[in-house]
Amino acid sequence: MEIKREDILHLSDLSDFSLSEEEIEKLGGDLEGIIKYISQLDELNTDNAEPTYQVFEMENVWREDEILPQDATREQLLALTKEEKDNQIKVPKVL
Amino acid sequence: MKYIPTIGIECHVQLRTKTKLFSEVDNDARGKEPNSCVSPVDYALPGMLPRLNGEAIRLAILAGRAMNCEINASSRFDRKHYFYPDSPKGYQITQFYHPIIGEGWVELPSGERVRIEHAHLEGDAGKLTHFDSYSLVDLNRVDTPLIEIVSMPDMHSAKDAHDYCKALWRLMCFAGVTYGDLYNGNMRFDVNVSIAPEGSKELGKRAEVKNLNSFRSVERAVEYEIKRQSKLLDAGEKVIQETRGWNDATGETTGQRSKEEAKDYRYMPEPDLPPINLSQEFIDAESAKLPMMPSNYRKKFAGIIADDTLEVLLDYPSLMSKLGEIDAKYAKNISNLFASVLLAEEKSAEYLNDLPTAAELSELAEMNDKKELSSTATKEVFLRLFDPQMKGRGVKNIAKELGLVQENDLGALEAIVDTVLAKPETKKAQDDFRAGEEKVIGFLVGQVMKESHGKANPSAVQEILRKKLK
Repeated sequence: MEIKREDILHLSDLSDFSLSEEEIEKLGGDLEGIIKYISQLDELNTDNAEPTYQVFEMENVWREDEILPQDATREQLLALTKEEKDNQIKVPKVL
Repeated sequence: MKYIPTIGIECHVQLRTKTKLFSEVDNDARGKEPNSCVSPVDYALPGMLPRLNGEAIRLAILAGRAMNCEINASSRFDRKHYFYPDSPKGYQITQFYHPIIGEGWVELPSGERVRIEHAHLEGDAGKLTHFDSYSLVDLNRVDTPLIEIVSMPDMHSAKDAHDYCKALWRLMCFAGVTYGDLYNGNMRFDVNVSIAPEGSKELGKRAEVKNLNSFRSVERAVEYEIKRQSKLLDAGEKVIQETRGWNDATGETTGQRSKEEAKDYRYMPEPDLPPINLSQEFIDAESAKLPMMPSNYRKKFAGIIADDTLEVLLDYPSLMSKLGEIDAKYAKNISNLFASVLLAEEKSAEYLNDLPTAAELSELAEMNDKKELSSTATKEVFLRLFDPQMKGRGVKNIAKELGLVQENDLGALEAIVDTVLAKPETKKAQDDFRAGEEKVIGFLVGQVMKESHGKANPSAVQEILRKKLK
């Protein structure tokens, strides 16, 4: 599958990455390689195979609706962010 | 040209669980400090895993049954990827491929049905507050459990849209799955509106008005969209498929970022949550917990409670459930007290959470029935049942303490009447009445009431007077 320049730009737009010309060039080739590798799976006939959603064969894992004390405090969690203000996480304006 | 509008609605309902959908943190952040109901799971710290809240599954079953929906025995979670600071994970956990709630329907007051396409469980996003050059993020609401209810495009007017949202709100409140607090965003509506020329087989391009939080704004937004789109088509222009925001102050919708149209959510099965496979026994047992719904109450009280009173009371599940407990013969009386006395009180919202017992209310209605309490006195005693100083003391005691019990003992009443008739100042009135002047009976009843300190039953007094003055 050929990855066009527009595809890379579309993907970088969706994931909010800004790419240099050099990176656009390089990523196109890399992605083509990755997709070619994964495409080997297309050679298999999966018509009657059940999709695998997870491999642990567990089901119905849920907990009771009880509030438990948390180990991490608000201060500790906020300290992990780059910038905070009034107990909130400060981020660049996105819209 | 005449256009036919077509409307479909997506509704997000916040579930009233104690904890969040995927972490054991307090789910009720109302009035709490920003980021105070947040765990490392909500922060999406590396290595954190979601732990599914079983109560959300139970409530989803009730919500589904309230809408006459199939409950899917097998359901799963998926990741919906998007980049925005309201979601530290970078994706929302939702049910894209296998939702827990299948097809069903909601009935409108007109008798028409709006079909439900499906409904699914998902986590809410955090709250952003935008400032000039930056935004602030509060993660309290991250992963509050939601069910998103997706209707079929079965509505064709602003009124239909309004009625559907209100019917849905009542169903969710009666089912007890949400607090239903619209002001605090417990239910939010996204409304898809398109119009097509009458007779056309194809639907027009639709606009989606997002994030409406009242029935009135749903109605107004639909009205506005129908007008806006008609004007475009009349002018030979095209409606573009887009997301629009609603401005309640101006009563207009405006187009939002067009980049959204390029969205690609890259859905994938959520590997951290095993599938839900419910047995029929479990589904049946949970479904059986569905309380009486508005339609059940309508049937139960048809011909007993006046339609307009019932429509008012159906906005208050706690009142309806109380009425359901009361002996049917007293339901009419108590429903009137609820509608005209209780709801008129300033503190009615507070009172709704702490209603008198069914036994107390029945006793009150019975005293009124037996004429031991006049209708004015009944209202007064009724209100005292909510008074922190009085409540719990018993209806009879309260009525006695306030001196409101009417004298119905005919012997005692006759004695009072005799006393009054023996008074010289009533002589003229007695003569006038005997001479055919009907209206002086009012004066005489009044004198007896005065003598009895207001406790006599006026209609009984009148009867005795008439007998004695023959």
